[in-house]
Amino acid sequence: MESTINKTKGFVIRDLASRYAIYLVLFALFIGIGLIDKNFFSINNVRNILIIASVRVIIALGEGGVLITHGVDLSAGRVVGLTACIAASMLQRSDYAYKMFEKLPQLPLWIPILLAVCVGLIIGILNGATIAFLKLPPFIATLGTMVIAYGIACIYTNAQPIGGLRDDFTRLASGSVISIPNLIIIALIVACIIWFILNKTPFGKYIYAIGGNPNAAMVSGVNINRTLISVYALAGALYGLAGALLAARTGGATNNYGLSYELDAIAACTIGGVSQSGGIGTVPGIITGVLIFEVMNNGLVILGVSAYWQQVIKGIIIIATVAFDIRKYIAKR
Amino acid sequence: MNIKQLKRFAVVVAVLVLIVGAVAGCGGSSSTGSNSNTAQNDGNSEQSNKEIKIGVALYKFDDTFISTVREAIERDAAAKSQETGEKITINAVDGQGQQATQNDQIDTFITQGYNVLAVNMVDRTSASVIIDKAKQANIPVVFFNREPVKEDLQKWDKVYYVGAKAEESGTIQGQILADYWKNHPEADKNKDGVMQYVMLQGEPGHQDAILRSEYSVKALQDAGIKLEELAKDTANWQRAQGQEKMAAWLAAYGDKIEAVLSNNDDMALGAIEALKAAGYFQGDKFIPVVGVDATAPALDALAAGQLLGTVLNDSEGQAKGIFDISYALAKGEDPTNVVQGITDGKYLWVPYKPVTKENMGEFKK
Repeated sequence: MESTINKTKGFVIRDLASRYAIYLVLFALFIGIGLIDKNFFSINNVRNILIIASVRVIIALGEGGVLITHGVDLSAGRVVGLTACIAASMLQRSDYAYKMFEKLPQLPLWIPILLAVCVGLIIGILNGATIAFLKLPPFIATLGTMVIAYGIACIYTNAQPIGGLRDDFTRLASGSVISIPNLIIIALIVACIIWFILNKTPFGKYIYAIGGNPNAAMVSGVNINRTLISVYALAGALYGLAGALLAARTGGATNNYGLSYELDAIAACTIGGVSQSGGIGTVPGIITGVLIFEVMNNGLVILGVSAYWQQVIKGIIIIATVAFDIRKYIAKR
Repeated sequence: MNIKQLKRFAVVVAVLVLIVGAVAGCGGSSSTGSNSNTAQNDGNSEQSNKEIKIGVALYKFDDTFISTVREAIERDAAAKSQETGEKITINAVDGQGQQATQNDQIDTFITQGYNVLAVNMVDRTSASVIIDKAKQANIPVVFFNREPVKEDLQKWDKVYYVGAKAEESGTIQGQILADYWKNHPEADKNKDGVMQYVMLQGEPGHQDAILRSEYSVKALQDAGIKLEELAKDTANWQRAQGQEKMAAWLAAYGDKIEAVLSNNDDMALGAIEALKAAGYFQGDKFIPVVGVDATAPALDALAAGQLLGTVLNDSEGQAKGIFDISYALAKGEDPTNVVQGITDGKYLWVPYKPVTKENMGEFKK
């Protein structure tokens, strides 16, 4: 009798552990690093991690939707870079000596940001359309737009850094509402919208359906092409927003912005439980994945780990976390 | 293929042709000078009839510095062409960071009979092959920005190198900081007579990153300043990463940090954003930050009193050296007679320049 109770207890703990694996990893990392160096726990540092993670969360949510359809979007990083340059170039101070557009009047903030979102959206539609109609594998289609977006960023900026951004623009990133940083608020709003789309709309159900079983989805009347284009378009728009916010946060932009952010986003999504074979993934999971990444990035610097070892440790944590997390699916089988 | 497919195929091909045509039309080769002059040009006759073709092979188009050098070479060529009435073609190609690609491009230049090659190596240790090919075709080579190994340059006398001594940028950066430290006793916040600094480094293994890190510290030590390195890390030349690392260091060390050394301006500007968020550069809360490159945003930060100093890699000076030597070679002249400052018969060293708030007026672009 006693032994059965113990067994069930053990099983429950193991079950809980595997179900909440990634949250446990995040918690363990956070506590572990903080115990070694208490500076890690300071309010300012935690705030910093969350601010840096905010932009990454927005990118990862876009990438996450694509991954759930069993696709992939390699253009994410370069689109962030291009849109950062576009937003920055239109929001330079009027007294800045090296303005890209000398005659440009003082625009209201929302115009360049909206433009950045639209550019992202257009590239996203292009991605979706080539995948849906020309039947290109997502890897190739988005590899193409990744290179194109980078090329355009180089042409647009002429490989010169853009600086002298307007204070009202940078304050968008550095400011806060009742001491909650704006960027965190924006990321949370985006996360809520994406959560709503994925869980409460037909479009969201189609995304999971296509990723889970495309044939079944088609038979049950899901318009696959339209759904695919919308997913990539939504992702593109999010990259555009992220690009504008990244420019605001860093106070500038260069053609090299966003380099390999797509790989970070894919890794964060995978850590966060988004399945590489499509059909599975949640918004809280993706956010946790990004946070694990950023806690690691920040923590390793605070601990003074050498730059080379940081790479090795990050790789190990990625593999270990996913190996730990994936057990819940194996157990089900 | 049925007709419908054929049509679709034709449309795709047509669109591709249009795109390629449009791109080729607006970029790539820039040809300056006017043919119309040649008819009236009776004085200095045959030389000016001949088109001078200089093939410029760049390691990567998107490198900020390299692209400014390229533009300056094109401007110099245009000016020379205006002056003499010769047709001078500068064809700049992008090696995309791959030595194999660059070798192919150089083969093309050679078969097309270019007069001179100006080469910015992708891999500075592979110059030997290029020199052999050029020697065979008797086309002189001017290497720049990335210095080939000495043994390779010795292989032929029509090989030159134009560049800056990378360690100089580090040295000058260190000197700017040393001057500030000596003139501002308050910079030593904890009054221990030691400068506690953090360093943002470029891409691991990059020659500039290694030399700047080493020589900036060396210059400070040579100035008799005691140093303590609190932290150093790579931010891969990038502004966003510079900001992220600096924010983490501020959490770890706070006001213990007394100076920030950065291998380039982009990372320094990122660090400044993090420092601003921590309340620096408001009132009298200051910390010296030094970079390298003298980019436009960096000059702006200098004027705002946020960046203490930066170092200019003289792109105009290098471009002028590259063009003047190439032009002399194309005309069959000995560059050492025409261009000032060539040492050992093949090296033209273009010095770096310190840029601070005081002298920045000279560098306004």
